Amino acid sequence: MDYLITLAILIAIYVILGASYNLVIGYGGLSTVAHPIFFAIGAYTTGLLSVNVPELPAVVNVLLGMVTAVVASVLLAGSALRVSGDYLLIASLGFQLGLLQLIKNLDFTGGPGGLSAIPSTILGAARGPAFLAITGAAAVACVFIIRAIVNGPYGRAISAMRDEELAFTALGRNAMSMKIAIFAIGCGMAGGAGGIYAYYFQYISPDQFEVLASATILTMVVLGGMGTPFGPVVGAILLLAIPQAITFLQLPPAIMAPTQGIIFTVLVLVFLYLRPAGILGNKARAI
Amino acid sequence: MTSHFALHRRHVLGGAAAAALTSPLAAGAQSKEPIKIGSALPLTGSQAGYGNDFATGTRMAVKDVNDAGGIAGRPVELVVLDTQADPQLGINALNRFIGVEKLPMFLTAWSAVVKAQAPIANREKVLELNCGANSPEIATLGDYVYTAFPLAEVDIVKLANYVFTTLGKKTVAVLYINNDTGIDAAKLYRDTFTAAGGKIVAFEAYDPKATEFTGMLLKARAANPEIVHLHGLTADTPQVIAQMRQLGMTQRVTSYSAAYNPKLLEQLGPAAEGLIVTSLAPGVNDNPNVAGFLERWKKEQGRVPNGLPYVQYEYDMVFLVKALYEYLDKKSQPATGESLIAALLAIKEFDLPMTGKMIIDGHRVNKPVYLLTVQKGVFVPLATLT
Repeated sequence: MDYLITLAILIAIYVILGASYNLVIGYGGLSTVAHPIFFAIGAYTTGLLSVNVPELPAVVNVLLGMVTAVVASVLLAGSALRVSGDYLLIASLGFQLGLLQLIKNLDFTGGPGGLSAIPSTILGAARGPAFLAITGAAAVACVFIIRAIVNGPYGRAISAMRDEELAFTALGRNAMSMKIAIFAIGCGMAGGAGGIYAYYFQYISPDQFEVLASATILTMVVLGGMGTPFGPVVGAILLLAIPQAITFLQLPPAIMAPTQGIIFTVLVLVFLYLRPAGILGNKARAI
Repeated sequence: MTSHFALHRRHVLGGAAAAALTSPLAAGAQSKEPIKIGSALPLTGSQAGYGNDFATGTRMAVKDVNDAGGIAGRPVELVVLDTQADPQLGINALNRFIGVEKLPMFLTAWSAVVKAQAPIANREKVLELNCGANSPEIATLGDYVYTAFPLAEVDIVKLANYVFTTLGKKTVAVLYINNDTGIDAAKLYRDTFTAAGGKIVAFEAYDPKATEFTGMLLKARAANPEIVHLHGLTADTPQVIAQMRQLGMTQRVTSYSAAYNPKLLEQLGPAAEGLIVTSLAPGVNDNPNVAGFLERWKKEQGRVPNGLPYVQYEYDMVFLVKALYEYLDKKSQPATGESLIAALLAIKEFDLPMTGKMIIDGHRVNKPVYLLTVQKGVFVPLATLT
């Protein structure tokens, strides 16, 4: 049961990451690959506060993790988007790699060995179910907040900005502030997910937030359906549950190791071939 | 235990099929509930070459133990889960061991994975036994985290002292990979060598993903060290040494057990001559069981294992687990994280077939360090440091 609870918590965390990344890249059309670094900022802020300022409540630490991620995202987007939208891609990648190097080379972050000794916060048999309730509620809240944003008048403005920025600007709307706002909301949610992650798993290391993590979250969004409210939910469930399910096939380890990679890759390719706009995606929007 | 094991091997080889099918001990073992041993290893990804061989070593030991009647009359079943040497996948594997397999202990390796699993092992009161990672921090990870593999402080301290006192080298360039494997060990080497009276003339780190080391090596060359200590991983160590030789650095190189790898000799050829490596397990000349094991491995796998000393530890872990369960069986105690730790500390001294005597010293383990050097393209024994 604990195994399933932990898997469900991890899925819920990745639902937050996928949904918030979907807001940034799917709805906002902002080219960024650095979503894991805001996850890392939230996780490290929360983790460091919990270790060094133990009197602060966990909720406050997670909120401060979110705020730090929001501030970092505004600083990044505010400078990178002034030149051209495409610069955000390069700037975000540079920001991700640079900050990870910084984390790896600072002693107080634990360096490349990672930050351990993060307190458990909730103890006893109720720990797993309590974390599942909190993380699940946060994931549901994120998905529905994003759905509410994109389905309302502001959402139509976001779509207009994404599809025809010149016309959108010609109508007197400020595309820059809208992009920064979308980026900040998405990255703040990722920061919150990082805080919960740090408290539940009690260990974080910089390697967990590398470009491979960017590819994982991007695959969740694309597989589930970019620009759909529930696509990242489906993507997160499939990409996290399938590899675990494959390990239960009881194949000999010598066969299991290569088979696991092949089955997983084939499944992703089949889904994308049959549903190029994602499992929940609108075929009309497929490229 | 070493001689006992040799006898057991002859017995198994002499009548393996008959013993497995007809021995009352073995037949009884097969009818009882199996003892499951969980092992979290990288079976895919960049470290899979090592991880799969580690798993094979453990599997061979499980077969030997089962052929001899199992543990306390119960058969042994091995559950190996893939971590890709990734902390998150290591956590997933541990949750499966605890939540699905209901294991009171598990075997693990790779420093980042060991650290990521530690909070869960401590919280769930499950014995986490490291048998391949060497970060010194492992000794401080909590009440339920123990190591059967010597941490970096064992071989690096002895190596640094050997370089200063026996080889008589007074200046060293320390080059290390910028991750938890390299940083802690490089600091240990630096502190030990400096305390002995030597001088570190270059102390340079390189990125784990780097493939080009010219800048770092030019700085090291300019410092003109008498010897170079390189603390990297299996993949980058040959590249660094090759580039050293291309840049005209002819100094002797020392490294640790990750460089004790036959593939490195194939990759480097003459550039590997003089390389000194450490091994934390006895070699074929130190323990007759190792020669037999190596022959068996070559026969079954058609090649030599990656990281033989590590594989020896992985093999021995099954015998260590056997000793723990038999201790509890004699006392009629159930196997829990607490009781297994109590057994580990009570037995304290283990005679293991491949690595010899192992003394558990709290959360550390001390072992002799075997130095090997490359002569005419092969590793030959250089010294044993106790």
